[in-house]
Amino acid sequence: MSAQANTSARDLSPKAADRVGGTKKLVKDICIYILLVIGALFYLVPFFMVIVNSFKQKKDIIKAPMDIIGAHGMSLDNYFKAFKQMEFVKAFGNSIFITGLSTLAVIVLSSMVAYYIVRANTKIAKLIFALMISSMIIPFQSIMIPLVSIYGAQMSLLNHRLSLVFMHTGFAMSMSVFMYAGFLRSGVPKSLEEAAYIDGCTKMETFRLIVFPLLKPTTATLVILNAMQFWNDYLLPSLVLGKKPLYTLPLSTYSFYGTYSSDYGLIMAALVLTLLPILILYFFLQKQIIAGMVAGAVK
Amino acid sequence: MNSLGRTTGDKIKSFLMFALPGTFVFVCVVIIPFLYGFYLTFTDWNGVAAVKNLVGFDNYKALAQDKDFWNSMGLTLKYVVLSVILVNAFGFLFAYFLSGRIKKGQNVFRAGFFTPNLIGGVVLGFIWQFVFSQLLVKFGKSLGIAIFSKSWLSDPTKAFWALVIVTVWQLSGYMMLIYIAGFTGLSEDVLEAASIDGAYGWSKMRHIVLPLMVPSFVICIFLTLSRAFMVYDINLTLTGGEPYGSTRLVAMHVYEKAFTARQYGIGQAEAVFLFFVVAIISGLQVYIGKKQEVEA
Amino acid sequence: MKKNLNRMAALLMTVACVSSLAACGSSTTTETTKAADTTAAADTTAAGTEAAAAPAEKSELAGQSITLLNSKGEIQTALEELAATFTDETGINLEVLACGTGEVPYTKVTSMYSSGTAPTMSILDTTDVIALAGEYGLDLSSQDWIKYCDNMTTKIDGKVYSFPFCVEGRGIIYSKKSIEDALGKTFDPASINSLDSFKAVCEELRAAGMENPVVLSKEDWSLGAHQLGYIYDTYDGTTAGADKIMAALKDGSQKVEDYDRFNQFMDTMDVILDYNYNKEDPLGAIYDEDPMHLVEGEAAFWPNGNWAWPNLETAGAETSDDYGFIPFVLGNDSSDLANTSMQASPTKQLMVDAKQSTEEQQKAALEFINWLVNSESGQKGLVEKLALIPACSNNTVAPKDPLSRDIVAKMTSGNTYSSSFVAPSDHWSVVGAVMQKYVAGQTDRAGAASEIDAYWQAQK
Repeated sequence: MSAQANTSARDLSPKAADRVGGTKKLVKDICIYILLVIGALFYLVPFFMVIVNSFKQKKDIIKAPMDIIGAHGMSLDNYFKAFKQMEFVKAFGNSIFITGLSTLAVIVLSSMVAYYIVRANTKIAKLIFALMISSMIIPFQSIMIPLVSIYGAQMSLLNHRLSLVFMHTGFAMSMSVFMYAGFLRSGVPKSLEEAAYIDGCTKMETFRLIVFPLLKPTTATLVILNAMQFWNDYLLPSLVLGKKPLYTLPLSTYSFYGTYSSDYGLIMAALVLTLLPILILYFFLQKQIIAGMVAGAVK
Repeated sequence: MNSLGRTTGDKIKSFLMFALPGTFVFVCVVIIPFLYGFYLTFTDWNGVAAVKNLVGFDNYKALAQDKDFWNSMGLTLKYVVLSVILVNAFGFLFAYFLSGRIKKGQNVFRAGFFTPNLIGGVVLGFIWQFVFSQLLVKFGKSLGIAIFSKSWLSDPTKAFWALVIVTVWQLSGYMMLIYIAGFTGLSEDVLEAASIDGAYGWSKMRHIVLPLMVPSFVICIFLTLSRAFMVYDINLTLTGGEPYGSTRLVAMHVYEKAFTARQYGIGQAEAVFLFFVVAIISGLQVYIGKKQEVEA
Repeated sequence: MKKNLNRMAALLMTVACVSSLAACGSSTTTETTKAADTTAAADTTAAGTEAAAAPAEKSELAGQSITLLNSKGEIQTALEELAATFTDETGINLEVLACGTGEVPYTKVTSMYSSGTAPTMSILDTTDVIALAGEYGLDLSSQDWIKYCDNMTTKIDGKVYSFPFCVEGRGIIYSKKSIEDALGKTFDPASINSLDSFKAVCEELRAAGMENPVVLSKEDWSLGAHQLGYIYDTYDGTTAGADKIMAALKDGSQKVEDYDRFNQFMDTMDVILDYNYNKEDPLGAIYDEDPMHLVEGEAAFWPNGNWAWPNLETAGAETSDDYGFIPFVLGNDSSDLANTSMQASPTKQLMVDAKQSTEEQQKAALEFINWLVNSESGQKGLVEKLALIPACSNNTVAPKDPLSRDIVAKMTSGNTYSSSFVAPSDHWSVVGAVMQKYVAGQTDRAGAASEIDAYWQAQK
């Protein structure tokens, strides 16, 4: 996949550039480089400032947020305090649990639904697909109030992590089915399944052994997209999880922010702690992630 | 032939096995609440009481008179238009530069521009709130740059722009990837042929590249549209609707109407109205996009 | 050929994937069961059926789990520590839930109620208790502690639904050191007893080089509830009086623009704005930076309450420093209660849930209140750890910080008036926004008055 990322780019104007001439191209390229570097700075400096300030004392941050090292020096105190007060381990565990389970559920369920929709030529398949496609334009806000009413007031199912997993799965369904269906239609030949079927595989086995593996590119993209969405989501978890021991990282970051007083050093440290896991993962997997996203986006 | 069953019994079995679990979750979480939401708009439910009374179209009448709602709706439309244009302009531009022209550091740049996308709106909002209200102010004051020496978040217009800027910052990297995918899919032959015909620079862009990129535009605009209409967490942590409630986008308004003012019926009516707006706009957008695609 | 290759690839991938799928499958099941187990375990402890696990000698309610929603963000950490002490001493598990910034406490509670997860106790503003108590509050009228704080309780239809958690006072905080350093002479806070005298000292400070001696915070709760709130508080200095003027504003028999207190208030605001340290960008003020100006001697006054002490302390103030209150002066009648006294009333109330908690949990909650009122660690914790002023007279622990000490002294000498803030829950945010506009120069006095009028007229 990483090789794909490297070769995926094609020079859009090789011949044109040659004819226009080397110097002009060079100057133009340098200009573009400068623009890109400025752009990248704009994209990355805020992170840098947060990291710098996370080592400083509150007073230094407010007085001189631009200083790299505060008047009172640097220290890791903010991190120790934030780590303890936001119950980082617990929140991190909750986030992992919810993100992992929801992602798994979405992948398994949506690939099966998409398979059914593409392969079974029934009215109900068409109906399901139409429902899912049209539901993609429903803004979350028009569901959130009845959702709280049904699952909270009437069924008392809120405040369970599994309820959130259930809801995440439901909300991510339509987009995932849509992408799987697109891939199935264009990229998976029926002949393989037929062969397997004739060889005596049951339908479920055919799907598991033959079809699902072929969906791998889409699966990779969907894992990334959905996991990112679940990991970062705030509004839905804030409605479902009302107890601190259940908080995910975004919730515990937010609850950290007080009305009357904000300890900026602590908040900065909390932000870094929240960002860190995902940035580390991204650092190691960036080629795959970007390639997977690019591959998935084609459809 | 149909690999998922030839007999009726077989068909039912396949349905139960493959389609039912996923569809069940989807219907429970999306469709039922959505329909139930319609029903709620005709009641006076306050969010807690067990009794709901049917009140006809009262909630919709209240919606029509809710000046704040229309203000935030107008503001949201403005925000959506600006975000869609800017996010896609930047995303396209980066993608254009980073799929061929620039070879060295291509992956580094791609990864860098995409980074903000990894981070949830809550955290992004906090980061930028700090940047706008403290960092830039101190920076502006120390260098005497007038535009930064006052907090952007204390002025309604600038606070609104702050929201747009942060949105562009967050989303353009994602759109960039989709455009890169689009460029990757462009056939080299077509481009080469165009170059030989003497089409380059702007003319090539205008006549060859842009029409071929229409599918990417359709996807990106659709994604930006729906994201922008629903934005809540950045709004919450960056401006919180401040100063004096002037930057409250429609999602936040609906949230506060329902959960703060406990006017669930009106809040839900406003949410349903929002649904129709989004449905019409994105429907139109996809329709026009598809038409363009066919014509190209 | 190509087909064969495809098939090979498919087979290879299948092998890889099935094994991974299988792995995923089994791990899911264990994970799910584990989760189910933990939930179940949590549930049983919550229901208190396994009281055996808790030390039985501590309290018959030991092992109960109760929650406390805290709407005072600044005491969150200290309150968590106090809760831990309580748990140690009684064996009752007390979890303190925080209310995030921007989250209106009232919203938080109602949304928790509507999702069926109401906290056993909530610390709320008086006005919220009035709105909620009838529906959800446990009747506390027969509690023993009422004898210590009868004059501080809020009665709804003759019943007490809440424990006055703390007394808070507000006015204009002064830093004696800032003033004396600037003026080079001693400062007597009692000399400020009218708008003119306040203006005079500001002018004197300006002449002495302190260009803008008053720090005005921009927060909507500060401007809307605490500053503008004086126009209701000072109607006659009682909650009943505040109620009366609010009723008159609602039914339109009193217009805001003709209301004396409003005009006096705006006169004072105008003086404050004229001497505002944050004048250049009034809404760009940073709440945590505001007290630094006082501590560092760049400013002398800060309209605020004793809850601001932790902020002052973080900014570098010491408990031995001389900070105190002058009244939020209104008009020039120096015998007016607004000028002789400061506002000090029970602002936070602790309400016990009667609807969604078990009877044992309710008992455990009452035990917590008793512990706060009567036990030594409860009394000390309230005053010293949480830095609050107790409403109960049997608690004689002296506050550590100068602001609270000043309030206690003024309460003893009779220089306080007590009017609880009983405006509707959204008052502070709506009217706070109006005041922000005024402070930012986006509206004038008449405009602000008509918007506040409109707010009251819209109340049913």
